[in-house]
Amino acid sequence: MHQTIAFRTAWVITRSAADAEEAAQDGFVKAHAALARFREGSPFRPWLLAIVANEARNRVRGAGRRARLVQRVAEERRPDDAVPSPEAALLDSEQRDELLAAIERLPEPAREAIACRYLLDLSEEETAAALDCPRGTVKSRLSRALERLRVELAEVEA
Amino acid sequence: MTELEQRLTQLGRELDWPETPDLESRVRARLAEPAPARAPRRHLLPPAGLRRSLALALVALLVLAGGVFAAVPSVRDSVLEFFGLQGATVERRTELPTAPELRVLQLGQRTTLDAAAGELGFTPLVPRAAGRPDGVFVGTGPPGGELSLIYAPAPGMPSTGSAGLGLLVGEFRGDLAPDYFGKIAGQATSIERLSVDGQRAIWIAGAPHVFFYRPPDSEFAETELRLAHNVLLLEHDNLLVRLEGSFSRERAIELARSLE
Repeated sequence: MHQTIAFRTAWVITRSAADAEEAAQDGFVKAHAALARFREGSPFRPWLLAIVANEARNRVRGAGRRARLVQRVAEERRPDDAVPSPEAALLDSEQRDELLAAIERLPEPAREAIACRYLLDLSEEETAAALDCPRGTVKSRLSRALERLRVELAEVEA
Repeated sequence: MTELEQRLTQLGRELDWPETPDLESRVRARLAEPAPARAPRRHLLPPAGLRRSLALALVALLVLAGGVFAAVPSVRDSVLEFFGLQGATVERRTELPTAPELRVLQLGQRTTLDAAAGELGFTPLVPRAAGRPDGVFVGTGPPGGELSLIYAPAPGMPSTGSAGLGLLVGEFRGDLAPDYFGKIAGQATSIERLSVDGQRAIWIAGAPHVFFYRPPDSEFAETELRLAHNVLLLEHDNLLVRLEGSFSRERAIELARSLE
């Protein structure tokens, strides 16, 4: 149930499938050991993601060049079932590429915030747990990152 | 959500994320491995057998949120809610595993309150509102030992029917055995978090639920499964106290407040 979101969160931080897998595995094992400290009334997923993300960050330190956030858009996952016209498909593809490229140009903290909050669709609380920062920091990072994306996309379209 | 935020969310759904590896089996295998050798920490960690039992029991909760009992294929229903106290875990599941209604309680050696005080790693608490216990037992399950007190049915403490008791009290050092026992409740069971004089507690009632130990000398916690009645689990300083019977929530709280 939590495998995919844990692995992808680790991937956003490490940009390496091997490191993300190790981080997720170690995170699950450490979460198991710490289960007694998990308190009732607390949501489980942010707690788990915080542990996994911490493992991921430990692997990033000292690591060399990392992969792009996401290599490509899945061909099989179109926004709707309708087959787009060749022109519309090209436009969609270009817009997605521009958006991805703009995300890649963001500073690391802003890029991770955008990836966690929107690409992974984590809640604000989960994003804060994964990034090990207060929710207020997540909000301000997201606000600045969105503004920068708007400006960059407007420049591209202009 | 602004248009840009919507586009970002949609983009996340369309991205070609790296394939998620099979974490479940790899984590399960790692947890089943013997723990690495380390300097002994007397009484601070559960014995190796219990750790392995816990590993088998809890990995699936983390990875799958289901299937605590990895060795019982029929029990792989989703965990709907999870509650924890120091010494106990409580899960609500879609379905209960099959469990016998135990008629002979395995409580350990019969003794007296005075003798128990000398054998246990803590000072026994007695619910004064229930009077003196009709039986005192000491078990060796968790570090520090376990105390069980039994009471015959009395006003406000009707017979449980199966064991014929009015009240069963269990006590052990929850700080030394943080996951010593667990409960699995179905959807018909009410699970309520309470605070009794500032101490955290959980009241479980309404339908029989499953109680299990994770005994240190057994690989399979489910061997100790039994059906349980209404129960109040209470953190009392470093103890985990269990008050079980067919009584009401109010009576359970009254009993808990009289512990001394």
